Amino acid sequence: MDKKGIIISVAVVAALIVAGIAVAYLYKPSKESTSVEYVVVAPSKMDAWLAANQTEAYIAWEPYVSSAVVGGNGRVLEWTNEIMPHHPCCVVVASNSFISSSNGLEMTQRFVKAHADATMWINDALAHPTGANYGKLLNISADFTQRSIAVVKEAFGHLEYGYLMNDSFKAALSTFTDTYRNDGFITNDTFHKAGYSSSADFVNDYVNMSYIDELSSVEPNATIINPTNAIRVGYLTGDLHQVAQAVARNETVLNGKSIFEEHGLNVVPALSQGYANGGTEMNAFIEGSVDIGYLGAPPAILNKINKNANTVIIAQANSEGSGIVVGVHSSIKTLEDLKGHIIATPGETSIQHLLLKTALKKVGLTLVKA
Amino acid sequence: MADMSFVNDFRTSLSENWKRVLIGVVSVVSFILIWYLVALRLHTSGSVKAQFLPYPQDVARALVDSFTRIDPVFGVLMPTLIENSLERIIIGFMLAFAVALPLGLLMGAVRTIEDIGRPIVEMIRPIPPIAWTPVFMFAFLSFWGPIAVVFIGAFFPILLNIIFGVRSVDPVLFDAARSLGARRRDLFTKVIIPSVVPYMMTGVKVGLGIAWMCIVAAELLPIKGSGLGNYIWTWADIGQFDKVYAAMIVIGILSILTTGIAELLERRIYKWMGMK
Repeated sequence: MDKKGIIISVAVVAALIVAGIAVAYLYKPSKESTSVEYVVVAPSKMDAWLAANQTEAYIAWEPYVSSAVVGGNGRVLEWTNEIMPHHPCCVVVASNSFISSSNGLEMTQRFVKAHADATMWINDALAHPTGANYGKLLNISADFTQRSIAVVKEAFGHLEYGYLMNDSFKAALSTFTDTYRNDGFITNDTFHKAGYSSSADFVNDYVNMSYIDELSSVEPNATIINPTNAIRVGYLTGDLHQVAQAVARNETVLNGKSIFEEHGLNVVPALSQGYANGGTEMNAFIEGSVDIGYLGAPPAILNKINKNANTVIIAQANSEGSGIVVGVHSSIKTLEDLKGHIIATPGETSIQHLLLKTALKKVGLTLVKA
Repeated sequence: MADMSFVNDFRTSLSENWKRVLIGVVSVVSFILIWYLVALRLHTSGSVKAQFLPYPQDVARALVDSFTRIDPVFGVLMPTLIENSLERIIIGFMLAFAVALPLGLLMGAVRTIEDIGRPIVEMIRPIPPIAWTPVFMFAFLSFWGPIAVVFIGAFFPILLNIIFGVRSVDPVLFDAARSLGARRRDLFTKVIIPSVVPYMMTGVKVGLGIAWMCIVAAELLPIKGSGLGNYIWTWADIGQFDKVYAAMIVIGILSILTTGIAELLERRIYKWMGMK
């Protein structure tokens, strides 16, 4: 074939390829018209993404909701307690390997006691905003979240802290498990292979009430039980839901001694900057880098079943405290208005994502990846 | 006699090709069998690592399901994810080629330009493309970010191979061309470019392979228009590793196909240029 023929052949092939791509593009099946698209963004970046019009909304945990509101960049479309009132959010999870280690049971019991004391201290501080402890709480929280006092003050108005695990708590976890099973995040094959007959059966096995039940018998102890092998505590970066562990580690709370020290515990962060999300923290549990951790209930559930994480839930950390944020001048006024828009979520395994899906389903919308 | 010779040659060729095919098949089957046995050992021993190595039949089922059932998270079938990733790779790669080709020719042919460009290239080249991912994602955001990662991954292999190709042109050819009255432009188009083609195609094939590696890292961060890398990270996070492996197989097959197309193109170009 001569050069001219080759050039013509290449041109024809190129034209066919371009035409093929154009046809495929034009006739690409579009997502359902009842869908809301999402992208996964770290909560600390969501405000910036909203401001840059990369997304039209986001759902996050505090203080990342209040940071947009106080900063004048966003307004809250809906709080998650409007989707599911008093929904459990973060829990305290312990590694079974840690519990069965030397003094592990004792350390876990004392940890839960310290967590309970810190939680009660927080609630007392919030109930007395003119008291000295309220100022301490604001400072600890601002430092932990790297947000201003004004932001954490606003955020505390939407949070509930509690450590008890009652029947409604367990029922909510069962609902989360059912949702994951229905949505295909947990296959029936995997679920039954793990030995569970129902979601309620799973929750009863996964939630260990004994540490809460024994709280009244745990007294402060001046002797540090683990001076050389500190408990490695995990938490999410700047997550105000989990401020109880920051309070329990802080030495200004008891005027020179931390609540953990009060109960004879040496506790250090497993990762100083915190974990990006619950899934990452559960991976750290699986690899043995975390002994006790604070994270959302859904990733604790998913990883227990799908990745066979050797963990157990030992206390609640908080309930509610997340919200859907839109731009302050946005035309989005209702959940239905989210149709056809893009929203940022912390990830498929977060409780925020799960609640968003639930909320959208109620108004006839589906959540799909952008 | 000539016919018998042809038949014998054909038989020999067929026999040799069948042998190679058979060896290949046995190799793949053995690999799958070993995979199954290791997975069986992990799963039956109750190892916590078991979920990270699903059975081959579970991966096969996940692969088929990804093409036949709408994904519960992504809301699409696998071809849509392939299309999205391919789009990023093609755009990123074509941009890399469009910049690397003229720059490589210039740097290879003009010493001063090479002296200017080489220190910068040698500083940036060793940085893994994956390290650029967070920078590009936040600088160029969700559409151009992953494309930029593919660009930086494919750019340097193409550039360096072209520079090397230009530098490797036999000086005797230059002398011969000049003695036949070739001007500067003729030297470029009739001596340098034909000589550079084999090196350029090597760079293209290497660049394509790196582009596929980059796409998984590039799609780790927030993107609009999900792709194969995004699919891998999401299902790994959720904990269904059969789907993760299925997507890895798709990437492997696509990488082989794109490299195969590059090789086919290379052979056509050689044939057209009368080269071996």
